[in-house]
Amino acid sequence: MENKATNFFTRNKGILIFMLVMLTVPFITGLIEGSTFEQVWTNKGSISKFLESLGIEIFILAIFALSYDLLFGVTGLLSYGHSMFFAVAAYLTGIALKTLMLPFWQVLLLIAFTSVIQALLFSVVLPRVKGVTFTMVTLGLASVFHIIVMSSDMINLTGADVGLQGMPTPAFIDPASQRLRFFVIALVLLVVTFIAYKRFVASPTGRVCVAIRENESRARMLGYNTTAFKVTVLLISSFTASVAGVLHALYQPIISPTIADLGYTFTALLIVLIGGIGTLSGSIVGAFVMKLSDYFLRRYLGDSAILINGIIYVIFVLFVPYGIVGTLRVRRLRTKEGWKQILSWVLPKKAE
Amino acid sequence: MKLKKNLRPAAVLAGIFLFLFVAARGMDPKDLLITTLRGFSTGSVTFLVAAGFSLIFGLLDVLNLAHGTLYMIGAYVGWTVYVRPDTFVDIMPLILFLMAGFSLRFLWDALSDRLNWSPTTIKIVGWVLVIIAIALALFIVPRYPIAGWALDDYAQSPTSYSFMVEQGTRLPAIHLDFEEISAPVAVIGLLLVSSMVSFGLALIRKQANQQHDLSPKKWITFIILVVLSLFFLLLNTTLTNFLFSLNSNWLFLIAVIIAALSGVGLGALMETTLIQPLYSRPIYQLMLTLGMSTIGVQLVRVIWGMPEFVLSKPTLFRGTGGACPASNLADLFEYNCTTIMVLGGRVRVYDEIFLPIVGIVVLVGVWLVLKKSRIGMVIRAGVQDSSMVETLGINVRRVFTLVFALGAGLAALGGVLGAPSNGLSTGMGEKLLLNALIALAVGGLTSYPGAALGSLLVGLIQQFMIKYGQIGIPIPFTDILFKPTPAIVPASTMLLMVIVLLILPNGLLGKQE
Repeated sequence: MENKATNFFTRNKGILIFMLVMLTVPFITGLIEGSTFEQVWTNKGSISKFLESLGIEIFILAIFALSYDLLFGVTGLLSYGHSMFFAVAAYLTGIALKTLMLPFWQVLLLIAFTSVIQALLFSVVLPRVKGVTFTMVTLGLASVFHIIVMSSDMINLTGADVGLQGMPTPAFIDPASQRLRFFVIALVLLVVTFIAYKRFVASPTGRVCVAIRENESRARMLGYNTTAFKVTVLLISSFTASVAGVLHALYQPIISPTIADLGYTFTALLIVLIGGIGTLSGSIVGAFVMKLSDYFLRRYLGDSAILINGIIYVIFVLFVPYGIVGTLRVRRLRTKEGWKQILSWVLPKKAE
Repeated sequence: MKLKKNLRPAAVLAGIFLFLFVAARGMDPKDLLITTLRGFSTGSVTFLVAAGFSLIFGLLDVLNLAHGTLYMIGAYVGWTVYVRPDTFVDIMPLILFLMAGFSLRFLWDALSDRLNWSPTTIKIVGWVLVIIAIALALFIVPRYPIAGWALDDYAQSPTSYSFMVEQGTRLPAIHLDFEEISAPVAVIGLLLVSSMVSFGLALIRKQANQQHDLSPKKWITFIILVVLSLFFLLLNTTLTNFLFSLNSNWLFLIAVIIAALSGVGLGALMETTLIQPLYSRPIYQLMLTLGMSTIGVQLVRVIWGMPEFVLSKPTLFRGTGGACPASNLADLFEYNCTTIMVLGGRVRVYDEIFLPIVGIVVLVGVWLVLKKSRIGMVIRAGVQDSSMVETLGINVRRVFTLVFALGAGLAALGGVLGAPSNGLSTGMGEKLLLNALIALAVGGLTSYPGAALGSLLVGLIQQFMIKYGQIGIPIPFTDILFKPTPAIVPASTMLLMVIVLLILPNGLLGKQE
């Protein structure tokens, strides 16, 4: 029993250290700006509160990107409708809390239910279509949803192109007054998702998914019902994206319709690409890089930030095809050799 | 046997046309005619984009998501040439001189082969050259005099310029002199920039022991480019005055040609520099073209600004006096009317007659090239199996570049021709790309007739939906009039695509498995 527990800690060393570091960030910045532990705890430190908000956005993006990485990076299903999972959850949360005034746990149940429905909707087309056609069909379905959200018929529910605003957030995770709590919840959700995903990819089911990515007909020839595996992945991915969507809806004051369009799927794709396709941890790294670079470029360059971001993106595609994490993994062996060589100059040579 | 194989597509097609027929029964002949013509118009602009997209996808296996951006750039370039020819004349030498250095690629390759430095040194020197060249370009280009518009000053913004042209006011031609930088310095500097970048790139990707052909034939492109740019530079004032004095019909024709050529140039540039290194990694091409489209939209936003404006029609299509709206062809040709009366309805000549004709001409033209010419034969064979064609000793790579450039040119042509009826905005490319994608998915991704059929269907269904948004659909057995809102128009074509793909995963005319 104890052995199993230590195994768990050693296996997930990286992400747990990441969680600890992230948990200390608000307090350390609190120390630097001069506010006490008490003030940070009660959400009164200004810089730490700002960093928390940035962190929350990054975590939400990372969860969303993780779900895309499972679908696209691990299983090889290129979907252009992924933002629909996210946006449906966000909008449903907003509508359920604002118009229907459901209690929060019922909202969560509703979201879980719809995420399953959506995944099944996407999987209806799975056995029939492959490759580019799947991409097109998902694009079509998601665009229909985007159009519905944007249409003026739904203005009372979704707020059309202005976005859904004035949604009452449950008091215990109100991002304004309880931001530290929200930060921790988002962080824990990200870490739990990451660990679960890592476990999934390492499991026999996950290995079959990788096999589907590499060569689907071969996997089918080996006797696997590939469609069932794809549906499983779609279900998991849709559920995770919905979690991110709920967090987004609770955190943002306005749910804008841009989260439903193709551009938001591309954001996930971009994050996965920057981090490294199919690496899982790449999604978290990518979300950090993406959000921070976007924030700082926007701050110092204004509107041309998107242009610079686009150029960075193209450079990544051309010169860093495996992404940050992927490249590091490829180079890890070489780096180890290099360190050994450097150390050998310093350390006294062992007698042979 | 053949019928059985094609039963499904035929049934789907029959279903769609039955639907359209039922839809048409509730309309006046007048409305029906106009709606159908509008459908043809939308369809033909969509087709211009979809045809290139489908050829590129078929031959190169690249889903070029930047195709909508090329369409948009075509429209904006056309607008620039049409509304501000002086800007066009000013900017030409700049671009041509920048191209001139690259046309000497063979020389740089040969030079880099003669160098006997270590590989690391060569790479470092290459990068240093490129960086110095970029710095030099950043110094020269902002100081180069280009007459243009001001985005923050409303009186000089593209919107008010378009409005002035629409009203028939002549824009004042602006002549700028070299002030911050003297002309010879700028020219030599630009040549230096392009040569250095080209040489640097040749050093970076140096390949040893190649055969180098330095025959005089290879210099021709360079000489033509330099002569052309000197021509534009020295005759700047004369050319500007000439273009400003031209009739707007001729100017529009020039704008269309230049826009299409700019599309061809951009396409060739994109293919050779960005897409070629990625042929072995298909998914990255997709992402690259996606990034290119973002960059393109942002560039357009920086150069031409966010607000929407229109490209006014040439005088050939906007006469109002005399017997307008024309009731017969003689009147139409005499007064160049904007509209013509058919069956008691007003039909706009440019949008609803000229555009479909252009669409059909392009359809037939490209089809003839594909079917009858040698290059078309190579393209068709390449769509079937490009590695086999390469094995037969044909330089497929060159055909790839050609097809990509051609497709981009078609998209740009669609952009500039569609601009007078659809207007120019930074979102136009994305919207049209979506339409084209639907059209292709419906018609079959790699099939050329499929592109035409799909575009036509998408155009017709969109226009019928818009029309029914105005008059309402009587739902059978009830008295309710259902009026589709404008938002449902794109949704209807999306649904069409999803339904067709579910029944026929390869589209209507795609190869069925």
